[in-house]
Amino acid sequence: MKNLHFNEYFKNFLFDLNNFISIYENNFHVFNYTKLNKLQGDEIIITMANKIVTIKGVDLKVIKMTKQELLIKGEVLKVEFTYE
Amino acid sequence: MNSKIIWVKINDDNYYKVLTKLNSLSINIYDNKKINNYILIKTTLKDYQRIQKYLISYDTSIYAYTGITKAEKITKKYIVFLIASIISIILLFMANNMVFKIEVKSNNAKINQLVLDELQKNGLTTFKLKLKHPKIEKIVNKILDDNKDTLEWLEINYDGMFMNVYVTEKTPIVKEEEHSFCHIVANTDAKISNMNIYRGVALKEINDYVTKGEIILSGEVSFNEEVKNKVCASGEIYGEVWYKVKVTVPFKETYIEYTGKNRYNLSVKINDNTYSILKSRIKNKKIEETNLYKLNDFAINLVKEKEYVTKEKIISEEEAYNKALSLAEEKIKLKLSANEDIIVKKVLKKEVNDSTIYVEVFIVTKENIAELKVVEEDNLNDSTNNP
Repeated sequence: MKNLHFNEYFKNFLFDLNNFISIYENNFHVFNYTKLNKLQGDEIIITMANKIVTIKGVDLKVIKMTKQELLIKGEVLKVEFTYE
Repeated sequence: MNSKIIWVKINDDNYYKVLTKLNSLSINIYDNKKINNYILIKTTLKDYQRIQKYLISYDTSIYAYTGITKAEKITKKYIVFLIASIISIILLFMANNMVFKIEVKSNNAKINQLVLDELQKNGLTTFKLKLKHPKIEKIVNKILDDNKDTLEWLEINYDGMFMNVYVTEKTPIVKEEEHSFCHIVANTDAKISNMNIYRGVALKEINDYVTKGEIILSGEVSFNEEVKNKVCASGEIYGEVWYKVKVTVPFKETYIEYTGKNRYNLSVKINDNTYSILKSRIKNKKIEETNLYKLNDFAINLVKEKEYVTKEKIISEEEAYNKALSLAEEKIKLKLSANEDIIVKKVLKKEVNDSTIYVEVFIVTKENIAELKVVEEDNLNDSTNNP
């Protein structure tokens, strides 16, 4: 049976962006990341299309992790963008 | 099938290392928990198969199932219990909604069979579902219509698994036999006190004395000593009737007195047999029963046994005398009907012995003394031939 990927189409329709990061309360949401470079309780480094995002914080934990999305919970102290 | 969500247990305490590895394998993680020295991740069955394939060095296992998979697993685990429950529910449903026995409440075997046949004809048989009230009413009306000459009334109601059919058969109206020629005679010796004549000729008057069998109202209507017509005499004749009643009452009287000691027991009644749960230790007792549960011919009753003792007391002469009078009165009243009563009561004799009192009472009653005496055809001819 062919997979129709309804979820993906729906998400593309809602998030009309190639990639984005959203921060709310103690949650850090990354959409369309390329690679997870480092995963530690105090630092998470993610590669996105043309930048590297460094998140520094306390007790950072992965809540949800798929090929496209990453949801991190914890006290975010600093977010750093390095453009290539 | 592989997109089923499950909880996978990974026996490793390095949370960040494990998650990085899972990310490198593009494993979808929908939730995760770190518990002591192992990590729980919520992923798909398909991803779990990939974990098993690529992360050989990790000790992984399925921790729990969710959603439909969980329901499937529980169903498999408790399949016997579930089947037993379903069978029980079906049996309970059958017990509540099926008729296992039809009982026709009538003493007439022919009527019983007729009703059973009619019920069968209308689809009311055993091992079928109970019908709702409007349908039952329709069938009842149909059966009554089809058997107008035989059945008067029919009622069907359900009692648990039983269907009770109450039936009243039609009783043919018997016309009162009409007699062509009859007299009203006295049924006892009496003094006439009241007469209501509907038909016939009165041969006696009020205050006349009559003996048993004497004609009071004649069915012969005569004129100038010639019988003109013969009718069936009818009327109400009340007369004073005399009785002599003899009563002996002892001075010693027995009565019962409750001791206040009560004992409770349970009894099971099956058909007409009653079985007590506990053995009764009270010899003289009065039993009061309260029904706790009843299903057809089966009943459970709470039995209250009240202990009593029989005692004797000596009554006075006056009490014994009054008791004798009331006993005499009761004895006569038993013979009397609604419009009849005692009009005179007199003591003729009173004798007191050591242990008893003897009383002779004269009682006059007002009662209906009329009795119909039919004159048969033969007698009629005889009377015509021999005037």
